[in-house]
Parts: sequence; structure tokens; C-alpha cells
Amino acid sequence: MKHFPTRRAVLGTASAFTLLALTACGGNVAGGTAANTSKYPTGPVTLTVGQAAGGSTDLIARALAEGATKTLGAPIPVVNKPGANGALATKELAGKPADGQELVLLTASLITITPLAVSAEEAVNIDDLDVIAGLSQDDYVLVASTDSGFKSFKDVTDAGRNVTFGTTGVGTGSQLAQTVLFKQANVQGTDVPFDSGKPALTAVMGNQVELATIQLGEAMPQIEAGKVAPLLVFSEERNSFLPDVPSAKEAGYDVPVAQYRAVAAPKGTPQDVKDKLLAAFKETFKTDAYKEFNEKNMLTPKELSGEEVVTEWKGYAAKYKELVEKYNISLSGNK
Amino acid sequence: MDFLNPVINGFSVVLEPTNLLYCLVGVVIGMLIGVLPGLGPAATIAILLPLTYGVEPVTAIIMLAGIFYGAQYGGTITSVLLRLPGEASSVVTVFDGYQMARQGRAGTALGLAAIGSFVGGTAAIIGLTFLAPLVASFALDFGPPEYSALALLGILLVATISSGAKAKALIAAAIGLLLATVGRDMFTGESRFTFGSLQLADGIDFVPIAMGIFGLGEILYNLEERHRAAKAPSKVSNVWPSKGDLKQASGAVGRGSVLGFFLGILPGGGATIASMASYAMEKKRAKQPERFGKGAPEGVAGPETANNAAATSSFIPLLTLGIPANATMALMFGALLIQGVTPGPQLVEQNPELFWGVVNSMYIGNILLLIMSLPLVGIFVRILRVRAAILAPITALITLLGAYTINNSMFDVTLVVVFGVVGYLMKKFGFEPGPLVLAFVLGELLENSLRRSLLVFGGDPTGFLTRPISATLLLVFVLVAVLPGIRSLIAKRKGTAAPAGATNKIEEKV
Repeated sequence: MKHFPTRRAVLGTASAFTLLALTACGGNVAGGTAANTSKYPTGPVTLTVGQAAGGSTDLIARALAEGATKTLGAPIPVVNKPGANGALATKELAGKPADGQELVLLTASLITITPLAVSAEEAVNIDDLDVIAGLSQDDYVLVASTDSGFKSFKDVTDAGRNVTFGTTGVGTGSQLAQTVLFKQANVQGTDVPFDSGKPALTAVMGNQVELATIQLGEAMPQIEAGKVAPLLVFSEERNSFLPDVPSAKEAGYDVPVAQYRAVAAPKGTPQDVKDKLLAAFKETFKTDAYKEFNEKNMLTPKELSGEEVVTEWKGYAAKYKELVEKYNISLSGNK
Repeated sequence: MDFLNPVINGFSVVLEPTNLLYCLVGVVIGMLIGVLPGLGPAATIAILLPLTYGVEPVTAIIMLAGIFYGAQYGGTITSVLLRLPGEASSVVTVFDGYQMARQGRAGTALGLAAIGSFVGGTAAIIGLTFLAPLVASFALDFGPPEYSALALLGILLVATISSGAKAKALIAAAIGLLLATVGRDMFTGESRFTFGSLQLADGIDFVPIAMGIFGLGEILYNLEERHRAAKAPSKVSNVWPSKGDLKQASGAVGRGSVLGFFLGILPGGGATIASMASYAMEKKRAKQPERFGKGAPEGVAGPETANNAAATSSFIPLLTLGIPANATMALMFGALLIQGVTPGPQLVEQNPELFWGVVNSMYIGNILLLIMSLPLVGIFVRILRVRAAILAPITALITLLGAYTINNSMFDVTLVVVFGVVGYLMKKFGFEPGPLVLAFVLGELLENSLRRSLLVFGGDPTGFLTRPISATLLLVFVLVAVLPGIRSLIAKRKGTAAPAGATNKIEEKV
């Protein structure tokens, strides 16, 4: 899994370089950015990830960085700064100089769902950032334990009893998708939050909970092994990796929830820097290695422009807000 | 024998050159710090934790495990030659080991200790090999209720079994539980004790706490202690024990293996308690107990076997259940988490190469130690001459640098400094840091599992008793909590005061 055996060493030198680059740019920013952007990049471009190393967000960042290093012509070290679901790293980035030397890998849930669960000052506003490019879509799948006997979502609605369902935590897409779905389907459910996808999946396999919604890449090995039954995917269309499983929309429910990821820079990054970055990423998207990576991790490419990402994510944020208000759902549980 | 396949594959993992190298590095570092009084394996692992970040998980754990059992070997050398136990688990070795050295039998004592350690370690690995898949076969039956019961039992055992003052251990454990509540509530998203800081939103990270309390705290505390000048060590000759010695010690080695194995599995147990228990047992069983303290070979062989067996078997609860049995194992737990591996019942199945790689590396490590320990005694003893004034600033610097690199966060460095001061003050006032750190790890597990179970049970606490594993664990919990009270009641009725254990005075440093 680890493609970077000497990551520490690379990081050490890279951060030293970044520091140099930053101090050098201090004067440049005051002197006017226009003259300098033609030289971009002036050193390593740091890509910060607000999640721990080894998770799916981190893996995406590393796959992208590996490809774009060649096309951009500068090393792109990936730095993990986990905390508060990525809010910490994103807020920190928003305060960095807008010269394109510092980027962050942004998850849509931080913009669209987290604000529904936490106070306003803990949430991240997408308008504080310049989104460079959209990357991919990571679908959620509703799975059922073998003991529950559920083979389709209809079995759940027909059961007419209270079901227990695991989520990957408070304020996640997994929680939002299930609570909204169950309200729409008139199913009584008990929300049991887990730390992340893995323990939630384990709980379904061990029949501690009957249902759970997790990211496809995580659930797939157990789905294929027949240890859990896939009932629904929450994307608007069927997922190409799971063609036999209906989408929630097909089943008649209005819960378009998925995880999207994008790359962002501090607000006010010069246009030609953004263009250079976008071009470098687009080159990477075309490479076989990156395509294989997406396939292996069950990610559906969603390579949008920055503007498209902002419009779409804002749309989802409004949609989710409307849904939770309509069904009177509190993502912060039973306070 | 299908189940042996992953075991054999594990050997191919260990025999990869990188892993062999890290195993060697681990046991050498382990022996070094075993020789140095003060810095224990827990402190060393805490300090080196960030260095393992860049290597494969299996390689990292192989090295850290090497440090742990290597230290048990190293501690023996100074106990025997200089009457200076490098590790708490070698304290009892001083009694007879140093006497043997004075009688010119230092080589025999070291040889016996090395052979005993090897036998004890190997016996425990074999036990681990057969017990782990058994526990792992229950993996999916371990849900939130089972974890709640297990965490509860673990916290109780940690607070009551650990050597040292019980009241102080309980206080330390309570502080650990309190610290575990910091951060965003898993179930409501409510912020608890974060004071509006996003840095605290995910709670306090385990690694800075461990690095501060064990690493920095230990360094500060040692600075205060005046170091005795290293004496010229006794001459070592004739390392291979005679047939008579071996015969005399073989019973002690056998008993030490079994005793150490079981005490190591117990939460709150570990190498130190195992060595003390073994010494006490050998002395009780001996036909002429007056020989003990005057150079009895069993007094060296027994405890040295037991501490190594316990050091190895304490990996069992960690690798199979995800429950660290002692402070060092809590650090291993942290190391695995840094690597993105959550130790638990599914580790054997999902990560067989990691599990068996680590387990089998212990065979290799033990052989390496056996080969190295005796010829290198002289070199190791020289390290004692390095002054604390040089060693302490270097280790402190490595600690702080390491703390930064884990999350690239200055906040973590601040945390290490704060907990370093806490750890120093705790040691100074006689509080053992172990219960605090373990309660911190188990506290989070307890709270989350308990609340999750109650959600699943629909708020009905009797649900815990309807599941066989959790009911059994809770029964054990009640027994452990009540038994000491009943025993003292019976003792009072008989009118005999319970003999005060002299062993309580020895500080647990593991």
C-alpha cells in the first residue's frame, strides 16, 4: 500500500524547501503577483490531507500527487494533518498565501454535511477557497447482515419493525443517507454510530447491527464474499462496479448522497496558476496508472472544473439542508 | 495442517532482509536501553514511535517488539555484573545473580539467564501461536457489548493488580478516563472540554500522551537521580553453565515459562510481576530456601525465564482482542494505529502476514539475542559511562522532533511537553503512569462500546447478561472486584493478619 518508503525523508526536505519558498514569496506577494506567476511552480507544491495516512482520501491524494509531479514539473509532497474530519487542515490552508504552492484535498461531506452537525464556527465555507478541480465520486452502499434476512430494501420496509443501523459517525454521508432514507420509507431505525467504515462493516458481519451504509470500496470484498447483502446504492445512477444493485432513486427515494473529492487552493490564487494546476491534473487523469487506481478503489471519475464543483456542492448542501428540515432530522443524534 | 500455512508464510515475511535488519536493530536497541538504568522499553518505544511511520507496519512492529523483549535480556546483564538492575523486571535477578558473580560464577549466571530467557520466550511464542487463532475464531462474536465488558475488566485489573500503591493507581486511572472524554462526542457531535479549539475536536491523541508521560517524563525524572559511577564489572568467563547447574535450574525454567506466560496475558500483569512471582515461587519450593540471596542458580533462571515469557505473552491480548495488557502494549497499540492497523480479533484473518510476521520475528529475535548477549556484554557495559547530561538532551530532542512529525502539528509538541511535566510530577510523587495511559486507551473503548451496546439493546442493560461472552466477562469482573474483600474478611476471622507483600515496594517500570 505504501508507495513512499522514504516519505519521512522526502517530507523533511520538502517542508524545508516549502519554508524557503514561502519566505521567498513573502516579498513577492507585496511586489505584485503577476510578474512571478509565469515561473510557477517555484518549488514543491504541498498537498495537505485532512485525514490520516492510509485512508481513501489519503490514497487519492497520493495517486494524484504521483501523477501530477511529472506533469507539473515539481514535487508534490502529501502531508497528513488529521483533525476534525479535515476541517483543521482546510481552515489552516485557507489562511496560507494564495500562490498555488499550498493545496488541500477537499472532501464534499465537509462542505455539504458536516455543517448540519456542528456549530457554524467549526464548519468550513467553500467560498473561503479556490477549487481547482473535481476528482472522483465514492458511492455509499446500504448493506444488510445475513441474520437479518434482508435481501432487498423492500424486505426492510415490509418487516414493519425497528431495525438497527450502523453509520460511520455523526455528520457523515452514511448517517445522512440512512436517516433520510428511513424517514422517507417510514422505517423505524436506531442509529448506532461507529468510528469509521471498517468497524461498522464488522458489526454487520457479526450481526451486532442489521444494516449499515459504508463506502463501496470498503464493503466490496465482503459483498463479493457473500458475508453482507447489498440493498441499495445512494448515487443517482447505478454504480458501474455494482450493476445489479438498484439505486435509491430507482427504488423511489430521494437521497442522492455520495462522497466527492476535489483539490482546492487558498482564495485569490492567480488564474494562470490555477490553469497550470488544472492542466497538470487533467494530464494525470488521462494516465493509465491513475485510471487503474480509480478502478481498483471503486471510484467513479468525476473530473469537473472548479466552478462546476462549487455549484454542484452548493446544490447538494442546499438539498441536504432542505431534506433534514423537511423530515425534522437532527444529525447530532438524540440530544 | 491448513492452519499452519499462514504461520509458515509469516516466516517468509520475517526473513525478508529489511525485516531481519529491523529485528536486529530492535533487539540491539532493546539490549542497550535494557543496560541503561532509567530509560525503560516503554519510554524508548514512545520516543521511537514516530520513526516507524515511514516503514511498513509489520517492519515497525517487529522492531518495536524487538526493543521490548531485548530490554528484558539487557536488564539482566547489569543486574548480574554491577548489581544495577537496568529494568524493573530484572530487580529480583540482582539478589542471586550478583552473588553468583561475586563467587566468580558471573558467566554461569548470565548463561543461565540467557538460556532461561530463550526457553521462556520460545514457550510463550508457541503458546501464542496456538491460542491466537482460537481467540480469533470468536472474532465476529465480539460486538460492542463484549468490548464494553472487556474494557471494564481491563481497567479494573490495571488499577488493582499493578504494583505500587493501589489508591494512587486508581487516581491515575481516573485521570486517564477523564482525559479520554475530551473531544467531539461520537454519538451527538457535541464538543466536550474542547474550549472551542478545533485541535481538540478529535480528542487528545494517544501518542503525544504516551510520548510525554513515558518519554519526556522519564527523561526529566532520570535527570534528578544521581547516577552511580559504573563500577568495573566482574570478569565473565565460562558462559556455558555446567550440567549440574542446568539440572538445578531446569525446573525453575519450566515453572517460570508457565507462570510468566499466564501472568503476561493478564491485563495489568507483565514482565515485572512475573519475575517477582517466579522468584517467590522458587524460594517457596526450594528444599533449602536459605540458599536464595546467596547465589542460587534457580533464583536467576526462574525470574529471567518468567519475565521473557510474560513479555512475549502480553502480545496475546493486544493482537487478538485489541486490548493492551500493560503500558508497553498500549504503545504497540498506538504504533499499530499510526500505521492504520486496528488491532482486534480480525487481525489474524485480515492481516495474517502482519500477525504471523511479528509473532515469528520473536523466534528470530530470541535467537539473535542469545547469540549476541554474551559476547557483547563488555561493550554494553561501557555504555553506562555515557553521562546523563549528554544523553538526556539528545533523547529529549528526538522526542520533540518525533512528536511533530506524526501529524505535522506544533500542537502535538505542546501536548508532549505538558504531559512530560505531568509524567515527571507523577513519578516524583509516586504515581505510576501506566494506569493513566491504559485507562485512557480503554476509557474511550468503554464509553463508545457501552453507548453503542445500549443503543442496540434499546436501552436495556440486562442485554449484557444475555450474551454468553459478555456475561462471562462481567462475572469475572465481579469476582475480581469482590474476592480481595472476601479474602481479607476470612483472614480477619481467622485472626491472622495478611502478610504484607514485600514485592509491593518494587516499582513497576514496564
